[in-house]
Amino acid sequence: MGNGLFPDLRRDVGFPFGGALALFIVLVGAGLLYQTILGTGSAERLVTVMLIDAIVVVGIQIYVGNTGILSFGHIGFAAIAGYAFAVLAIPSSQKLQQIPDAPLGLADTDLGPWLALLIATLFTVAVAFIVGVGLARSGAESGGVAATVITLALLFVTHEVARNWPELTGGDRAGLSFQVGGRLDGRLPIYLALLGSLILARLYAQSRSGRLAVAAREDNLAARAMGINPLVQQMAALLASVVVVSVGAGLRVYADGSILPSDFFFDYALLTLVMLIVGGRNSVTGAVLGVAVMTAARELARRLGQDGFEIFGLGLDSAPLDWIFRENLQTVVLGLSMLGFMIWRPLGLIDDWELDKWALRLLGRGTDTRPEGDLERQDTPATTLEAADIDVRFGGFQALSGAGITATGDEIVGIIGPNGAGKTTFVNVITGMVTPTAGRFSLDGRDLVGVPAFELSRLGLVRTFQNLRLFNALTVRENVEIAALVAAAHRADRPLRSSDALIAQAGLWDHRDRRARELDYGNSRRLELARAAAMAPAFLFLDEPTSGMSDTESVAMIEQVRNMADTVGAGVVVIDHDLNFITGISDRIYALDQGQVIAAGTPAEVQANPAVQAAYLGSAADRVAVGPTDNEPD
Amino acid sequence: MLEVAGLTTRYGEISALRDAELSVGSGEVVGLIGPNGAGKTTLLGTIAGLLPPAAGTVTFNGDDITGAAPERLLRAGLALVPEHRRIFVDLTVEENLKVGGVTVPAADRAELLAEMAERFPVLKEKWTTAAGYLSGGEAQQLAIARALMSRPRLLMMDEPSLGLAPLLVDMVFDLITSLRDAGRTLLVVEQNASRMLEVADRAYVLRSGEVVATGTGEELRSDEDLFATFVGGGHQ
Amino acid sequence: MTEFLQNLIDGFGRGSIYALLALGVAVIFGVMHLLNFAHGELITVSGYVAFWSFGQGWSWWLVAPLVIVTSIVTSLVIERVAFSRVRGASDFTLLLTSFGVHFVVSAAFLMFVSASVRTFPRPGWVANTYSIGSLNVEVFDTVVIVVTIITLIATTVILQRTMFGLALRAAAADFDTARLMGIRSDSVIRGAFALSGHLAGIAGVFWLIRAGSTDPSAGIDPMLKGVLAALIGGLGSLRGAVLGGIALGLAEVLLRSWLPDGVASLTEGVVFAMIALLFIFRPQGLITVAHAERV
Repeated sequence: MGNGLFPDLRRDVGFPFGGALALFIVLVGAGLLYQTILGTGSAERLVTVMLIDAIVVVGIQIYVGNTGILSFGHIGFAAIAGYAFAVLAIPSSQKLQQIPDAPLGLADTDLGPWLALLIATLFTVAVAFIVGVGLARSGAESGGVAATVITLALLFVTHEVARNWPELTGGDRAGLSFQVGGRLDGRLPIYLALLGSLILARLYAQSRSGRLAVAAREDNLAARAMGINPLVQQMAALLASVVVVSVGAGLRVYADGSILPSDFFFDYALLTLVMLIVGGRNSVTGAVLGVAVMTAARELARRLGQDGFEIFGLGLDSAPLDWIFRENLQTVVLGLSMLGFMIWRPLGLIDDWELDKWALRLLGRGTDTRPEGDLERQDTPATTLEAADIDVRFGGFQALSGAGITATGDEIVGIIGPNGAGKTTFVNVITGMVTPTAGRFSLDGRDLVGVPAFELSRLGLVRTFQNLRLFNALTVRENVEIAALVAAAHRADRPLRSSDALIAQAGLWDHRDRRARELDYGNSRRLELARAAAMAPAFLFLDEPTSGMSDTESVAMIEQVRNMADTVGAGVVVIDHDLNFITGISDRIYALDQGQVIAAGTPAEVQANPAVQAAYLGSAADRVAVGPTDNEPD
Repeated sequence: MLEVAGLTTRYGEISALRDAELSVGSGEVVGLIGPNGAGKTTLLGTIAGLLPPAAGTVTFNGDDITGAAPERLLRAGLALVPEHRRIFVDLTVEENLKVGGVTVPAADRAELLAEMAERFPVLKEKWTTAAGYLSGGEAQQLAIARALMSRPRLLMMDEPSLGLAPLLVDMVFDLITSLRDAGRTLLVVEQNASRMLEVADRAYVLRSGEVVATGTGEELRSDEDLFATFVGGGHQ
Repeated sequence: MTEFLQNLIDGFGRGSIYALLALGVAVIFGVMHLLNFAHGELITVSGYVAFWSFGQGWSWWLVAPLVIVTSIVTSLVIERVAFSRVRGASDFTLLLTSFGVHFVVSAAFLMFVSASVRTFPRPGWVANTYSIGSLNVEVFDTVVIVVTIITLIATTVILQRTMFGLALRAAAADFDTARLMGIRSDSVIRGAFALSGHLAGIAGVFWLIRAGSTDPSAGIDPMLKGVLAALIGGLGSLRGAVLGGIALGLAEVLLRSWLPDGVASLTEGVVFAMIALLFIFRPQGLITVAHAERV
């Protein structure tokens, strides 16, 4: 497992490169075939438009697909890039006629198209960076409504500015245009840009950043618990995608020979989004498929909308349905496609199927070998976790009052207590998901209150979740690899175990290529354990690892947790209700009730403690009410 | 009154409840006890129509109500006081109760409101206060009163003592006792097993999604192994 | 000072229409967690019905109620045809579904009617003004503000005093628990769409009077104003939606008068930029509705 940008060169660079090339050949080949058969100028023009659309849609896919955030703003970025390109690239002799009063002496500049495209792209990326900071500040989450509205606002801002700043943009009607002769006259730049876009999109998705972004898309909270800062990865995805979209927009302006505000607005947003979702927004192959399918569908609709078109001899000329097939059939097709796919197939035709991944599976079937188990305890530096006097209040509810534990890196500490005792809240505090109202906790003397969750897990405080938070659309292997990627970057001082070894040790080797959402309950729990172990944690916090398991399974889990902790040399803090499990696994136990530690000691001591028995079976009336009157259930 | 047979509920591929059998007779108070994660809330949620059952049947007064929508079940006379109370915090106490009585005719609703005001003096005091300002004990009373507003034939409660201080736990069990004495039929999920067994006619013990023991409150209370069965036994 | 007061009244007039639209958006967001990008289509459809009615020689007194009824019916039809099929889906799906509805409706008018703008007469009194001291107040603004206030009061009464309103508020707060109380999910969602359509209908009458025309993409502007105002106020808060609408109207009018001449045409752009900034610093909008993250 490498530490760099790409975990595995063959899988993450070689095959994606080949896959991108194959997609390029198929799309361009189909286009060339079509224009050769028809042999008309309009067919050639259609293919040019399709190829440029493909660049833009692939660019949008890099962001929307990997982060799960719906963006209208990419067409806004396209508008910015398109205008920047036009303003810089149009020869000054023509600009002096169109926009003589342009600010900054822009009317006099002569950069030539390729330098202009470069500068326009850089400028747009700079704008995207600022917008990206805004998205980050809004705490953008997958599917987040606020983030989508920010992108929508961006689209409208650019449109309004383009319409109302005629000194720079030529305004609503005239726009900016290249005079005849100065326009893009060959396909080569488009081919290069499309190939480059496809390669970038596939490489990004396979890169460290792409994988971490996808993890955050699947489960934002779990991603943060795995040491991922989603906002950083979303920014990376945004910048990569805006580069591609900008180049596509510049080429479109150059190929069209002109730009108007309406070129990059709602209609284009609709078109590109439909292309994206029809194939499948989570895959580059899907984006390309969507572009091809929708281009064909629109062309068919357009031809049906014309008079006198024939399909296989069936003439529609002066047919009774003629009134339907007006020129606007295209828009109807697009709107209905969007609606239909959202209702019946929201993940598109092929979901996240990817050509090169498929090829890799096909060629690599059975070639990977199960790693040998290594259950020796790893030597790791001695660590101590201390938490004391932790108070947590939610509104009027006191969930924890003065709770505290100590644990060392070579023991397994159990926390028990009835429902609502504050156990999960306690783990939430130590892993940064809840900020304590008072109290402190530290790792090897370093005070950690107020440190964000993703930092805490990088420091080695790693958790699992009571209600299972796996990256559901990803395979078992991808789930564990994501944690291993983070560990490679932030936990390199610890002995790192390979993902495959941990998968094998968790008993998941035969399921390694299945998606997490297809696993049964016990395997899901074991995967969560393996994923957490791959973080090379100093302490592993397990929140009810046996909940929902059968008795036999939970007994087996004792060994699995022990082995896993030994393998990575981690201390364990485990919450469970099952006293058999807890006493079987723990070296020491803390009992919590009403947000306080009511007993601590060896399993036997705690089990025999009358206060613990009372807390569990609930002779509550016999106890003296101390501390809070209310308690937030966890 | 209520018959549950072979009920299985899955979350995805996870069976949270397996093959549960349970019955509640008219006028009975039946407890459902067991550790967290045992499937108690899942069982209640499936009966109440919040979760779709994967297999099995639920019969209420002879009608098959398996998988029916909660709004239909309530009209059939089956009310649930949900876990964590789930009162409407932005609505006043009175409005919460009115929502509870949304299915009864307007004239009866006024009558029921008066009845609740009399039965729960604490609520009457805070009649026009937003429910978010109630303390935990008051909120639990409101949640129960709200469920009673629909005149249920069977009242189900999910963890009514959860997160309450000992004194308020007493109050909840006093309330259950008084409902029992008034002849109500109750099915109560409780973590607080020993208190539940004091007030229940019968109880079922759930563990790992299965019913592992059943009997009268007396029988289960005198069972020496209950503590073990409850918090970790069964496979010893 | 006089100019400021005049702008204030103008801003309130504009903001009132936005408030009605935003309230409709917020009501639906409350029960379904759907940010309705198709809200403006209610006005597009109403606009064409108004255009057709004037073709029949009807007067505004007849057309206004017809516009409102059209808006309600359209809202219910859209729910039935599209939104009822994606209940409980992910935010991404819900957002794109409403975006799709927007396009299908405008495309349908493009196809079956025409791409060109259809104009209709505006009532004679719209441009009239009257004076209070040195203030020249538009009759139209006055009517809008008065009707909006009446509508908001009526809506408040419906939400606060009727069982339907209570059911709607309960469902918006906690849909599952509301169903446990016997509230029918179908009725409450349809009720929300009807109420939303009704509010949009009233806003639509004013919008159409002011515009005096409609075209296939006429819905974008009111949709945007309604959605943005609801967001400014804080989604999920009905009071916030009204406040957000008024704030948006005031911001537009005041900015237009304060910005120097050269940039005044960019008012909309400046407003959008301000809104984007607001979301950056207060992503929950002006009125925060707390959502605890359950771990």
